[in-house]
Amino acid sequence: MGMWKRIVAATGIAAVFALAAGGALAADDVIKIGAAQPITGRFAFAGVSINAGLQDYINYANETGLVKGKKLVYIYEDTGYDTDKAVATFKKIMAKDNPVIMYGDSTGLGKAIGPELNSRYKVLYGSTSFSSELADPKIHPYSFVSGPTYSDQFGILLEYIAKNHKGKGKPKVAFFYSDTEFGKDPIPYARKRAKELGIDVVSEIVTKVGAVDVTTEALALKKTQPDFCIFQGYVLAPIPQVIRTVRDYGMKTTFMGTFWSMDTSIIDKLGADAEGYMGVSPYAYYNEDAPGIQAMRKYNVKANPKEKSRPNSYIQGWFTGMVYVEAINKVLAAKKPVTGDNLKDAIGKIRDWDTGGVTGKVTFVNNKAAVGRVYRANVAKGIFEPVSDWIYVK
Amino acid sequence: MRIGDFKETYAADEAIFRTPAVRAWMGALGAAMLVFPFVAGDYLLYLANLVGVMIIAALGLNILTGFTGQISLGHAAFVGVGSYAAAIGATRLGLPFYLCIPLGGAAACVAGTVIGVPSLRVKGLYLAIATLSAQVILEWVFSNWDSVTGGIRGINVPPATLYGVPLDTDFRVYFLIYAVAAAFTYSARNLFRTRVGRAFIAIRDRDIAAELMGINLFRYKILSFMVSSFYAGVAGAVWVYFAKVVTPEYFPLSLSIQFLAIVIVGGLGSIQGTILGAIFMTLVPELLKAGTEAVKPFFPDAMSYLFPLRDILFGALIVGFLILEPHGLAEMWQRVKRYFALWPFRS
Repeated sequence: MGMWKRIVAATGIAAVFALAAGGALAADDVIKIGAAQPITGRFAFAGVSINAGLQDYINYANETGLVKGKKLVYIYEDTGYDTDKAVATFKKIMAKDNPVIMYGDSTGLGKAIGPELNSRYKVLYGSTSFSSELADPKIHPYSFVSGPTYSDQFGILLEYIAKNHKGKGKPKVAFFYSDTEFGKDPIPYARKRAKELGIDVVSEIVTKVGAVDVTTEALALKKTQPDFCIFQGYVLAPIPQVIRTVRDYGMKTTFMGTFWSMDTSIIDKLGADAEGYMGVSPYAYYNEDAPGIQAMRKYNVKANPKEKSRPNSYIQGWFTGMVYVEAINKVLAAKKPVTGDNLKDAIGKIRDWDTGGVTGKVTFVNNKAAVGRVYRANVAKGIFEPVSDWIYVK
Repeated sequence: MRIGDFKETYAADEAIFRTPAVRAWMGALGAAMLVFPFVAGDYLLYLANLVGVMIIAALGLNILTGFTGQISLGHAAFVGVGSYAAAIGATRLGLPFYLCIPLGGAAACVAGTVIGVPSLRVKGLYLAIATLSAQVILEWVFSNWDSVTGGIRGINVPPATLYGVPLDTDFRVYFLIYAVAAAFTYSARNLFRTRVGRAFIAIRDRDIAAELMGINLFRYKILSFMVSSFYAGVAGAVWVYFAKVVTPEYFPLSLSIQFLAIVIVGGLGSIQGTILGAIFMTLVPELLKAGTEAVKPFFPDAMSYLFPLRDILFGALIVGFLILEPHGLAEMWQRVKRYFALWPFRS
């Protein structure tokens, strides 16, 4: 028998076994979770970890029997972070596997699939997005945001600033955001919230993503001398350039970020300029000692011994898995069938859920869990350390 | 076997589909396209719809670039103008889809006319830059003219309704898209049998010679821009009824380049090539993806290397096409047809 024939035969046998194994699990005992993940494309830096986090949690839940009498099956495909391809991927997974839960790669997919999610698919839909638009139960009843929206994250930071500002007079804050959906999403809310909290928004600066020459913007900051400057809509550039230039002017402004500019890796990239860099994180970091995080680390030591550390996007994926499992268990406890409609209702009923410190006590209102904590960079240790307790906003 | 092709009437000479065999095949294609939505699943229907929209838009670009020789890097922005016009027509003005689609075309046509004005003075790469600026400006307008375009959040559009039936599924919208695509393919095919179309081709082949023959360059270049952007606008409007949401992120520069890739890979100056190009550029990435999905279970750890591989492969395929067949898929198709015309009597 030739080499190729042997390979073909082996594949055939493997396929038969796989089919048999698949058939052995009665359909009732399997809960399918589909995911259209951004594993390639410009969001891949986070997509790979989000996918790993979600997949690992589902494996972990299966291994530890978190969902009694059911096996969770995770099906994912890459979208390349392109809305058309993401919609195609979504429909492909729905047609092929018909899962009751889906995960999506972007705000764009959530918006594009929204109408059909409501009228046809009716599956629970989580995603990478923190957009406040997807946390509107009237338009997107089947969607939820795995944590606080960007608006909530701004709310948490502003509340922290209002409470902890030590100088004279009202705290002066600058908003520094990109000219994208991601950048502009929380700004209207942030302006309103700042006014309510008695915070002066002294300047708003809008740039392109990845702008390199930031002299003009830094000069604008110099002119208004804000105590705090909050970045939104960037992952890295131009944050280091702005901080460097502003420090060169001898200013002591505290720089802050939201989720995507709050991964531990930014501390390395900022170098010495990371001193005093702060921000909001919806989740605890991989190095913390909360029981939920310890369980995550223990799982990784066993399943992925090569991974010494995990970024915050991994924890986002893991937490989304936790929400799925919590919703499934709520539906099962009520002795209802596991359908998108029941899962969606179950999410709405999650109140003061203890996540083992992966995040604060979780209560889903308006399809989001508006909780987060303020962290500050510890440059010597290369980690973020909490400087507040979990802050809950509405 | 076909021996000769004698035409005895002017009508026969002017026919688009000249032989009974061609007519039979076209009939078969039409029938297959009618049957397709009834047998295909959601995923295939979605891809088919995507291809349909791409065909309409790319036909527009081929009229401008392939037939008139005017390069454009702003085609996606014109598609965007059509989308926004149709979305505004459908939401604010409450117009039905059969008015919104021409409205989208008309709005893009106006934008295209304005952008086309420099084409009298600038050619080639310079025109590419001029149209590139249109892309940048329009993209900025989409995301910053909040009161009209809804800014970065865009506009949600209700589905088109025909006699009270909402065209809200891929199945239903398929018929809308392909009705429009068929009409516009037919018009494009006919355009090049008219004085205007021949003037376009003359300009492409040698603009000075064309002018000497009495073709008003300015008029026809503008006209080409108008027709091209009208196609783009209609594609955009149809797209809105298909996607049901329009945001600035749908019309990036990369989409303009994708349209150019469609007409180049398909065949510049070929209607058939445009269709083949749109199919190729939309389906091949999906096929490559299906390929990587198939081997995924065997290399669970390598997916972050495996997935980008298909982009490299796709790029290599395009380069391969350009080198091996510069006239595009249309020429390959012709060769296949020629081969089978005498098959099996000649190998």
